[in-house]
Amino acid sequence: MSLALRPSFPDYESVSKHNNFNPYSDNGGSVVAIAGDDFVVVGADTRLSAGFSIYTREQSKLFPLSANTVLGCSGCWCDTLTLTRILKSRMQMYQQEHNKTMSTTACAQMLSIILYYKRFFPYYISNMLVGLDDEGKGCVYSYDPVGHCERRTFRASGSAGALLQPLLDNQIGKKNMLNAKEEPVSKEAALSILKDVFISAAERDIYTGDSILINIITKDGTTEETFQLRRD
Amino acid sequence: MSILAYNGGAMVAMKGENCVSIAADRRFGIQAQTLATNFEKIFEMGPHLYVGLPGLATDTQTVMEKLRFRKNLYELKENRPMAPKVFSAMLSHMLYEKRFGPFFVEPVVAGLEPKTYEPFICNMDLIGCINQPKDFVVGGTASAQLYGMCEALWEPNLGPDELFETTSQALINAFDRDAISGWGATVYIIEKDKITIKNLKTRMD
Amino acid sequence: MMNPPAFWQNGPAPGNFYSFPNMQPQMKPEESRQHSQGPVTTSTSILALAYDKGVIVAGDLLASYGSLARYTNCPRIFKVNNNIILGASGDYADFQYVKEFVEQKIITEECLDDGLFLKPKSLYCWLTRILYQRRSKMDPLWNNFVVAGIQDGQPFLGTVDKLGTAYTDKVICTGYGSYIATPLLRDAADKKPQLTLDEARAHIEKSLEVLYYRDARSFPKYQLGIIDVDQGVSIEGPLEISQNWNVAYSIKGY
Repeated sequence: MSLALRPSFPDYESVSKHNNFNPYSDNGGSVVAIAGDDFVVVGADTRLSAGFSIYTREQSKLFPLSANTVLGCSGCWCDTLTLTRILKSRMQMYQQEHNKTMSTTACAQMLSIILYYKRFFPYYISNMLVGLDDEGKGCVYSYDPVGHCERRTFRASGSAGALLQPLLDNQIGKKNMLNAKEEPVSKEAALSILKDVFISAAERDIYTGDSILINIITKDGTTEETFQLRRD
Repeated sequence: MSILAYNGGAMVAMKGENCVSIAADRRFGIQAQTLATNFEKIFEMGPHLYVGLPGLATDTQTVMEKLRFRKNLYELKENRPMAPKVFSAMLSHMLYEKRFGPFFVEPVVAGLEPKTYEPFICNMDLIGCINQPKDFVVGGTASAQLYGMCEALWEPNLGPDELFETTSQALINAFDRDAISGWGATVYIIEKDKITIKNLKTRMD
Repeated sequence: MMNPPAFWQNGPAPGNFYSFPNMQPQMKPEESRQHSQGPVTTSTSILALAYDKGVIVAGDLLASYGSLARYTNCPRIFKVNNNIILGASGDYADFQYVKEFVEQKIITEECLDDGLFLKPKSLYCWLTRILYQRRSKMDPLWNNFVVAGIQDGQPFLGTVDKLGTAYTDKVICTGYGSYIATPLLRDAADKKPQLTLDEARAHIEKSLEVLYYRDARSFPKYQLGIIDVDQGVSIEGPLEISQNWNVAYSIKGY
């Protein structure tokens, strides 16, 4: 029977044979951010992996967008590369059009819109945008892949997000602690909790490890710090 | 959706200094709908032996009945209590018998060895692969959250009171981040001459 | 796993109330464009290692057609300009297509005669965009590219896969090499961070040998691309992998 005249019985077809190409990959990685009154710290592990392979042990997943805004990304790395490139150019366009740097809150809104623009072929990324808001307070915005956005004081996302978030709820949000109320953390406390939770994550999550890159944002600018994790 | 996550539930067991703990949430629901908040998933199987069966609620109860039956026969025949190690081996075999049509439970066993009062914990997957670590075991739909909590909170040689605190904090904070676990919790602290059972008040949403 | 059957599962599709199996042959609606479904004529691993003053890239000369060793003289490491070597694994036709327009780019650039030359980071970035764009059209170029070069006096080594996933590292291997050669080369690079050319070359040759023993799609003829701060670009080959099958007799039991 010629190809053109072949009858089609959709009910009798098994799994579709064509187009088994998957445009996404899960490259792992975790991002944790903690905001305080006048600072914000954000940390991301530096392992880039896929399946059981480690592509590289030193891949930064933090992208500075301005002097007091940083974006942390985990998920599909090729989408991350594209998204951060678009954001960088949008930051530059804004700067040149308005002759001022985009504020963290404006960045947060813009990111949500850029993500939703690809609602039906999304960037498969867990984003976390951190920075100082207009009053100089630390802020953390976390996103889902299609642009839902929420402002928090602390957040864990990425492959070890489920492991880390309850720990942050407990240690920083003071959840389920008698006679304890959530109060702003100090920079030192935030840094030490950040390192502790990553050590825990590296024990149980194979996509988190090697080392973490930490950005500390204050009114004086951004400083960087690294911290070794287990490499197995 | 996995059948293991049909009813929801969280379970954890920890080793301490001459004591062990086992704790679980109290929710019974069907997918997102909560039906009861007094559901027991931990069962006494002997004076120093407890088993927790998170997973599909119908299998929780079926497996519990089967275990109790087999354990009773063993004790009648042998005229001695069943050790946790023996109990776990029996459970593992029972689950593997159903390798290709399994019971959808991920058991957690906690207890003290009969003569030495050595702490014992283990868990297994739904077809009976035993894992017997030195620190803690977790099970149920909040296991990722529990791993994160336990990995940070657990330390060696915890006394009974500290063990209770650690286990409770790990469990509650973990299931607060799981939509189908929570609604109260039960914690068992097992010591040589004392079993302490505490029902915890938690957020009910 | 245990989902209930879909509503109206065995019934005719909406708008096709009498479409039963043995009635009129129905034309399938014209599908959208047929895209590439997978690689056809393929090449295996590329190995690359950065040393103190440059980068060394290796790949064999075989292009396989499934399990058939079809073409045995297919170079896939080439000099782009005095700054860059490009290596590729995966579909050989897609590689030739990319090679063609990369070379055209170099010619166009040379015609400008402005004394500027394409730098490795630029080519790496450009390839990332091309491959990402093709994956977004669901029509990927089925390759892993390895870009090696010198930029600002420093060795550069980066890779891009068919999705546009890109990263730089001191050790990069593709295909089976990522499982077999990467651990060997990372071990060498960790033990001595600043390798010399001779050491790097020895490690690459050893890895090629190990890979040749275990990768059924490998071939004993290979090329070596070396880009060095002092000596510039050289593509050596065809070279022969040193092999010793005496050990084969001791492997038994599986």
